[in-house]
Amino acid sequence: MDIVTMNLLDSTMVSICREMGITLMKTSYSTIFNEALDFTCALADTAGDMIAVAEFCPAQIGGMPLLIKSCAQEIPTSAMEEGDVIVHNDPYRGGLHTPEHTFFKPVFYDGDLMGFAVSIGHIAEVGGMVPGAFAGEATEIFHEGLRVPPLKIIKRGQDVEEVWKVLLANVRTPRYNYGDLRALISSVDLGEQRLRMMIGKYGKEVFRQTTRDLMDYSERRMRAEIASIPDGIYRFQDVVENDGIEEREYAIRVAAYVQGDEIVVDYTGSSPQARGPINATLGVTWSATYNGLLHLTDPTIPKNSGCFRPVKIVAPPGTVVNVDYPGPEVGGNTETHPRIAGAVIGALAPAVPHRAMAAEGSTHINFVFGGYDEQNDEYFACYDIEMVGWGGRLAADGNDGQDSINGNCRAMPVEVFETRYPWRIEEWRLLTDSGGAGTHRGGLATGKRLLCCKTDITVSQMTDRHRIKPWGFGGGKEGANGATLIRRAGSTKWQTVVEAFNKRSSSKYANITIRPGDRLQLIAPGGGGWGDPAERDRAAIREDIREGYVSAERAFKDYGFQANKED
Amino acid sequence: MRYMLGVDVGGTFTDFVAYDSQTKDINVWKRMSVPRDPGEGIVRGLAQFEHQPDIRNIRLGTTIATNAILERKGACVAFLTTSGFRDVVFIQRGNRKYHYDINWVKPKPLVKRRHCREVAERLDSQGNIMAAANEGELRGLARAIAADKEIEAVAVVFLFSYINPVHERLVQRIFAEEAPELPVSISYDVLPKWKEYERASTTIADAYIKPIVAAQLGTMAEKLERSVGTRKVSVIKSNGGEMTLQAAASAPIHMAVSGPTGGVVAGRHIAKLLGIDSLVTIDMGGTSTDVSTIVGGQESFTTGFEIEWGLPIQIPMIDIRTIGAGGGSIAWIDKGGMLRVGPQSAGAAPGPACYGAGGTDATVTDANLLLGRLNPAYFLGGSMALDVTAAESAMARLADRLGKPAEETAMSVLRIANTNMIGALRSVLIERGLDPRDFTLMSFGGAGPLHVSDLIEEMGIPRAVVPNHPGQFSAYGFILTDARVDRHRTLQLTSKRFDRERATEVLKTLIEEALEDLRAQGYAENVQIFRSLEMRYLGQNYELELPIAFDTFSPENTTALWEQFHVAHRARFGFDIPGEVIEIVNFSATVVSITPKPVFRELEPAAGDPEPIETRLVHFIDGRKSVPVYRRDALSANHSIAGPAIVEEIASVTVLNPGHRLFVDRFGNMVIERA
Repeated sequence: MDIVTMNLLDSTMVSICREMGITLMKTSYSTIFNEALDFTCALADTAGDMIAVAEFCPAQIGGMPLLIKSCAQEIPTSAMEEGDVIVHNDPYRGGLHTPEHTFFKPVFYDGDLMGFAVSIGHIAEVGGMVPGAFAGEATEIFHEGLRVPPLKIIKRGQDVEEVWKVLLANVRTPRYNYGDLRALISSVDLGEQRLRMMIGKYGKEVFRQTTRDLMDYSERRMRAEIASIPDGIYRFQDVVENDGIEEREYAIRVAAYVQGDEIVVDYTGSSPQARGPINATLGVTWSATYNGLLHLTDPTIPKNSGCFRPVKIVAPPGTVVNVDYPGPEVGGNTETHPRIAGAVIGALAPAVPHRAMAAEGSTHINFVFGGYDEQNDEYFACYDIEMVGWGGRLAADGNDGQDSINGNCRAMPVEVFETRYPWRIEEWRLLTDSGGAGTHRGGLATGKRLLCCKTDITVSQMTDRHRIKPWGFGGGKEGANGATLIRRAGSTKWQTVVEAFNKRSSSKYANITIRPGDRLQLIAPGGGGWGDPAERDRAAIREDIREGYVSAERAFKDYGFQANKED
Repeated sequence: MRYMLGVDVGGTFTDFVAYDSQTKDINVWKRMSVPRDPGEGIVRGLAQFEHQPDIRNIRLGTTIATNAILERKGACVAFLTTSGFRDVVFIQRGNRKYHYDINWVKPKPLVKRRHCREVAERLDSQGNIMAAANEGELRGLARAIAADKEIEAVAVVFLFSYINPVHERLVQRIFAEEAPELPVSISYDVLPKWKEYERASTTIADAYIKPIVAAQLGTMAEKLERSVGTRKVSVIKSNGGEMTLQAAASAPIHMAVSGPTGGVVAGRHIAKLLGIDSLVTIDMGGTSTDVSTIVGGQESFTTGFEIEWGLPIQIPMIDIRTIGAGGGSIAWIDKGGMLRVGPQSAGAAPGPACYGAGGTDATVTDANLLLGRLNPAYFLGGSMALDVTAAESAMARLADRLGKPAEETAMSVLRIANTNMIGALRSVLIERGLDPRDFTLMSFGGAGPLHVSDLIEEMGIPRAVVPNHPGQFSAYGFILTDARVDRHRTLQLTSKRFDRERATEVLKTLIEEALEDLRAQGYAENVQIFRSLEMRYLGQNYELELPIAFDTFSPENTTALWEQFHVAHRARFGFDIPGEVIEIVNFSATVVSITPKPVFRELEPAAGDPEPIETRLVHFIDGRKSVPVYRRDALSANHSIAGPAIVEEIASVTVLNPGHRLFVDRFGNMVIERA
């Protein structure tokens, strides 16, 4: 093993992935792509193992290994030719959920297949029962938009017109989708070119050997991390509060068996799959498990498939963590994923407290809407995410206003949002007292109030934590619940969608119509607290009150802090 | 008035460069900086210069603005914003610096939340007033803030003010009346571009450093006034241009990246002199390396700068990427057994092991010494002896842990340090769609020339230039700068319904504002105007910048403009979307007042071949070789040296790899070409 060559190839490949991502960010159309950065770019070897990835969206990183292997089952590598680009989004073929489109391009050198350039991106509009894909009331996969099995969208460098026509005929915003698809293709084109240049420079054998070495290296480091966790069985349970269809909870049950330098994560005992769209595919559960474990281990380990070798996952079919066809699952990737990752962290927190945290809000709010834009004479659709509070930690308070753990998305600027969409944002705040009390308190959630100003807007949502609070750890208190509230034009009353629209769930619903003059509040959940509130530094409490993070009343209730006496 | 001076005030040293316009001589020298009183350091350094009365002008590069932010030593700022949006600067963009680091702490803004005040006012996305600001309320607020003794500066950012600054201007006027002693920064003046967090972060940073910068520049001006008696002192901006001390004090955010721009400006000048179209500069010092590009005679500019992760300062500035890799970067072994170099640095104290000041970690400088690249007896011209034994034992410890011979370990350290710098070069070239094979590398800073041959080999760059005075190159660049103002503004217009009159009006206003800024500073001569538009397909979110040559939008030039955009998109991203609606997002104007430039003296052509002063054993990737060592001051124009070879000068050493050839041009630049 040549450590210098390995270092060089690793940094070159990560830089290629980053360059692919920059191309995506700069050329794509959906705001979820270019403002929020909900995509990931990677390189894989011929076996479909991920050899390098750039840090964009974590949910997609862990999903990568299963994705490529599943696709290769349908389009064998022998049927791939130079210049082909394959598109795929099918959750029942290794995918994550219908909006997540994977593009991959085989990389040939001297006629030999050397690997793949891969980009996964969230395309906001995919057809189906609601604009923006997140149908909170879906009961089968067909409600969640067009499924695309692995298909060649480009064949030997030429567009396959038939595929393009089908893809664009089934969505509400074909102009936007066209831009996003082109952006994804240009990013894998670039990845292919760059990887070929790199292989040309170092030679095929050095490339093959070094990428194997690199995965072995990551595996070794991951094993060393696991070995440092005391052997034992670590358990944890969290729930998804409902599925949008029935008012009952769905348990995510984790048992993590640590033995030597390996770990088995067993989800046996988790609830049977839901009728509504909160189910996770096996790909999502793998991804979420890896995500949790990568948070608990050294963040500097190069990310590739080698990291995942010492990890075994047991996810019984027909449960919320491994949905059977044709169950709906669009929320599995956004809501159930952070619940699974959080449960893995919660299970192992007693063993590695310096790397753990209490629950983050663990929802992306997933507020989607669509309507008709008269000025540009076209349909619009938007996937908006909101920021939650993160959990308190051994060393610090939780961070305020961050995207949930399976994304690393950016919030959309108010000025971009109002320029593009017919809403006015009336306020956007950190919510006082939303972080759970603790030695280190949970981070604050955000709250946004929107006014519909011009035209009817169709709104759907897929969120959670309206009823179940984010958990605290080691005596820390729970973070605050989220909520979605509506006030009709002329009314003074804020109502849930259950009250205002007769929906079954306040957090998961499809196709309500918001009219000009109506207002809507999106309240995100806060982070859980870490450790006994009684241990909290008094100066930190005083500063929290002065800065408005905690009210004087809550400081008294949670910490017994009397502002007027202790000031 | 013979002399032009460039002064670069760094953390450890202040570099001085003096150009004599009569003899064309250039003198360079260094002094220790006086961090708590930078003016004192400058005055002491100037005392070494015997022609003080003959100084025509002095241009200063300074880190006072940068340090005030990085060390969080700025003012207590009151932040005024649209009602409902006080928390924009606390929520920021909601993403994290690292994916998997659970212990990462989100950066805090430069204001306290309790000092953020909301104002009842609102514009819509077209700039129409939805809720008018109430003058009485604003007066009350201004008085309350003035009465709060804690507050030292005010920043104002209202939503959509980049389209219509009416409410920000009103606040500015009311504060001038009610609280005239408080400096006020409004976002329309600082950065009239969309995206409220980035605009607010920039505006707050401006207010945050204003009192301290104004005070420090004031003291500096007084000191210089007394010692040099010159009024011609200016400061280098982040865009590489100069501005007066007064302008700097009232808009200090323009000095966020002052010093490092000098090297890029000098690079541009030399590129022009030598007819180099595409240049990439690498400035490698003790703890960090700065990388930038000059293409077609233009520096690369950015509006995406972050002074720390998550704290954007988005005024237009030279795009300089900085990485934590330098001569002092420490080599270490990670938990998986991988050898790594940096970003931790041994700094100036204790410094690399070979400094003999107690450092025990092996650094890049130690590796260079052990590989025969540095001469222990001629470091800084012999003024500092290097401790080879200390370097050897530091490297031996590392080698033991790797189970490799010490020399192989030193070579690995060097190669990994090179890999880090290659990463920085990739980020400014390949990641921006630029092909290294079209470029020349200019390498400077004390440590840059040591690595130059390796870097062009590894990057596939065909040639490199090691300029004169590589150790004081930034200060050298300051004698070559112009006065420059960049002004950007957001106004969205699409090709579908393009309002030519509005576009023309905005562009003309922008140019007039920029010209007025220059004139107010006294720069009225040799003014050049550059205009450009940032454009994209309607729906995209990032723009391509297209230069334009007109002030008035006509049907003809507008049609041509849309076509140019398709072409530019294809060239940059490999595809275009024919027939798609195109959107103009930002207008920009740059005005430059060209100032007199030094003329460089040409060297006498060489007679015969250069004489090495010795031969030494030096390690290269393919083995150890006996190589000739030259002194740079003995080289003349047209001298040519075949690698492997070493060229030493007081503040730097150039290593020439086997197979590379070095040629001295008529100005004394060393041009290196790969075989």
